Amino acid sequence: MAPGLGWLVGVPVLWPVLIALLCLLLRPYVARAAVVLVGGGVLIAFSLLVYLQGPFTFTPPAVAGMEWHVLLTVLDFALLLWFLHAALVQRSLLAIVFTLAQLVPLAYWEFALHPQVTVEPAFVVDYLSIVMVLVIGIIGSLIWFYALSYMPRHEEHLHLAQSRQPRFFFYLVLLLAGMNGIVMSNNLLWLYFFWEVTTLCCYQLILHDLTAEARQNATRALWMNLLGGTAFVAAMIYLSSAGRSLAVADLVAKGGALPLVLPLALLCLAGLTKAAQVPFQGWLLGAMVAPTPVSALLHSSTMVKAGVYLILRLAPAYQGTVLSNVLALTGGFAFLVTAILALSQNHSKRVLAYSTVSNLGLIILCAGLNTPLAMAAAVLLLIFHAISKGLLFLCAGAAEQELGTREIEAMAGLAARMPFTATIAFIGMLSMLVPPFGMLAGKWAAMEAVAAAGSGWSLAAIGLLVAGSAVTVVFWAKWMGRLLSQGLPREKVAERVPFFFALPLAVLVVFILALSALVGPVSAGLVLPGVSAAYAPVLGVTAAALILPDGFFPVWVLGLIALVGVILPLAAVRVRPAEARPVYACGEHVAEGERFLSLADSEARLEMGGFYWAEFLSEGKLNFWVNLLGVALILALLGVSLA
Amino acid sequence: MTGPVFLFVLAVLTVVLAPLVGGLLFGLDRKLTARLQGRVGPPLVQPFYDVLKLWHKEKIAVNRLHLVWAWAYLVLVIASLLLLVWQQDLLLLVFTLGFAAIALVMGSFSVRSPYSHFGGQRELMQLLAYEPVLLLTAVAVYFRTGTFLVSGILQQDRPLLFSLPLVFAALVIILTIKMRKSPFDLAACEHAHQELVRGIYTEYSGPYLALIQVAHWYELVLVLALIGLFWAHPWWAGVLLAVAAFFAELVVDNSTARVTWPVMLRLVWASCLTLVLANLAALYLIV
Repeated sequence: MAPGLGWLVGVPVLWPVLIALLCLLLRPYVARAAVVLVGGGVLIAFSLLVYLQGPFTFTPPAVAGMEWHVLLTVLDFALLLWFLHAALVQRSLLAIVFTLAQLVPLAYWEFALHPQVTVEPAFVVDYLSIVMVLVIGIIGSLIWFYALSYMPRHEEHLHLAQSRQPRFFFYLVLLLAGMNGIVMSNNLLWLYFFWEVTTLCCYQLILHDLTAEARQNATRALWMNLLGGTAFVAAMIYLSSAGRSLAVADLVAKGGALPLVLPLALLCLAGLTKAAQVPFQGWLLGAMVAPTPVSALLHSSTMVKAGVYLILRLAPAYQGTVLSNVLALTGGFAFLVTAILALSQNHSKRVLAYSTVSNLGLIILCAGLNTPLAMAAAVLLLIFHAISKGLLFLCAGAAEQELGTREIEAMAGLAARMPFTATIAFIGMLSMLVPPFGMLAGKWAAMEAVAAAGSGWSLAAIGLLVAGSAVTVVFWAKWMGRLLSQGLPREKVAERVPFFFALPLAVLVVFILALSALVGPVSAGLVLPGVSAAYAPVLGVTAAALILPDGFFPVWVLGLIALVGVILPLAAVRVRPAEARPVYACGEHVAEGERFLSLADSEARLEMGGFYWAEFLSEGKLNFWVNLLGVALILALLGVSLA
Repeated sequence: MTGPVFLFVLAVLTVVLAPLVGGLLFGLDRKLTARLQGRVGPPLVQPFYDVLKLWHKEKIAVNRLHLVWAWAYLVLVIASLLLLVWQQDLLLLVFTLGFAAIALVMGSFSVRSPYSHFGGQRELMQLLAYEPVLLLTAVAVYFRTGTFLVSGILQQDRPLLFSLPLVFAALVIILTIKMRKSPFDLAACEHAHQELVRGIYTEYSGPYLALIQVAHWYELVLVLALIGLFWAHPWWAGVLLAVAAFFAELVVDNSTARVTWPVMLRLVWASCLTLVLANLAALYLIV
């Protein structure tokens, strides 16, 4: 029996709240593990049910005479007051200002002006929402499972009097409730509430370890996200005072009243803050002080994805405006400069963080191009980035717990020391940049789209796109090379992988391989329906290929190439012990091992490290200019919308 | 004309003939370079002798992965060439060729050898220099022809060269890097005339060095074919164009010295990106 529509909205949004509360109340590890496992399983099942149901709308009936919007209003203000409290505790002037800038206008608007704040239907679920629900539910739950193995090991090092895991899991789980709310809500005011729930969870999770650095970074995340919230409130009040409805569906509907560009620009600004685009990348980089499951969640399926979701969702509304073009440049700029910044990083999570900002920039570039093909590319990138980035963070966390450091240099030869994790990490990185992986299909579509857009704006976007792609390849290749860098063949190492590390890693890597092979059906079943509501279909799809009038992506042929090129030699090539030789060291080798005769015939170890471009491209040298240009682009975004 | 049997025959012919052409061109290169330097030089077919000799040498290796990536490099270069003869998407060709370069770099990083790592790092710098130009070339071709498909580009009557002269110039600059010629032979030059230890190839020997050599032959044919695409009809005009570019590279190779990588990056990005973007802007404004 198919569940009612109420269940399909209710479970993704409310079930995580219940699980979160249980995590908070149940202290024993076994109970928490059971709750998280069952909770994650149910959430995954319901994500799939939402997909099977297809698009629908739903308005929850009043419960016991109480309207939902009353409850949400109460919670809204409770949240804002809590933010005020947090801002005061952290003594952050910016956070105080941006909380008050929401609290005061919102109170005045809702209580003095009595706006029309109810929207029918309250929830609209289309294929874009369904894509998000699947990404959130499946990847999110897998990251919960991972945390079950990660957090006990994490706390071992901290020697706490009392475990803080209940609190940790509470916010980790609650975050998914907020996310599902965001992607299903049709009412902007409700969307805003869920938006702020994710801000709360994000702040609390970054704060989790309570170090000075954690406090500082959590506060930065708080004020930056509250800045976005302020823009959100301003947009709602503007729309309402212009007599427009607060329904997202009306905002993007074709043939309605002329679009009001300024509120759209404000909402995009909110999206840019949440998606950590330049100049707001600081909060996401700071977020890595939190335990790894947090980074994995924030970067892959939640939080930053909420930002791009909002921008993608509103794309039909700002189609054909100058705002759209400036947005494309803003995204393209972030794509290039954060890839450049990633070049100089020797810190695994910083590289991953910059790569996230960069890829989200690419998605926003596509949204700004606003053609049917660009939108399809954006959704493809969103899906595959979520999987690969989730996987990579989980690998980085596993390596960190084993090595005791986050340095990429320390990962030299990881392929020999942690074969399981390193192999999966390698596939994850490879999936970001070479055919036939899904990310590359997305990049291919993005490039075809930007070339086809054929405007003066897209010329600039092309430059940013191709330069960014090349830089992306280089920073990944550097890291991948480190993993492989090993000496003579040695004894096979059996890596002990905790079960809840192995499970999500294995599932995600299977997702990458399977969905990349099935990128045709994935496009036909999810991506194209996700953008078709407002855009004519342009991308032809068969099981084996993506087809454009002027381009062709033969998935299976490319897969075969990778199979013959890499997998076959991997299976076939053997080196017999008699064939093995040490590396060349100008004839000064010491008989065994990686040593050579150095100055005055003293033995020295053969050491080598990566090259990090520090003299040329360090953060210290670039950050000022990057942020200056970022601010200029944001001002331009708002400026062109005022006109 | 595009049935699976035809495509298969085409693939077999390409796999067999391309290295013959590539090898002969390498031989020609060595002969002419020798003459330019006042030497007699080896016979024209010397590259084939070299590869056969290498192939029969003792197999020695540092480790397994190092060899796996050599194979991957060869297969991926051949695959890129096949994408061209099958008249596929130009962007994917560039991506696949990029994958091949990554495979070569991965090979160089798979051993703990300082020379090999040097070469790998430098190969990455080179990739950084030429990859955007190759992608932009594909985009420029799209601007001119309205398609990324080689099949569509071949249907053009008017040579691409006429409307994309600056893009062509940029591509010729990139050819220097792809042919591993001075002044951009940073990762390891084709003739070991500037170095004692051959960077990225240091740890390859015997049959595996032969593999890489053969991959270079394929790659040379591929990049020259891309040059020829700029004057596709009649076909001999394209061949002449490619041969002219090839000889120009030999002259440049013998009259310049290797530059450092920051110089290369600045030179290539500044010159090529300016050239391509100027050409694109001109197309956009005029058409």
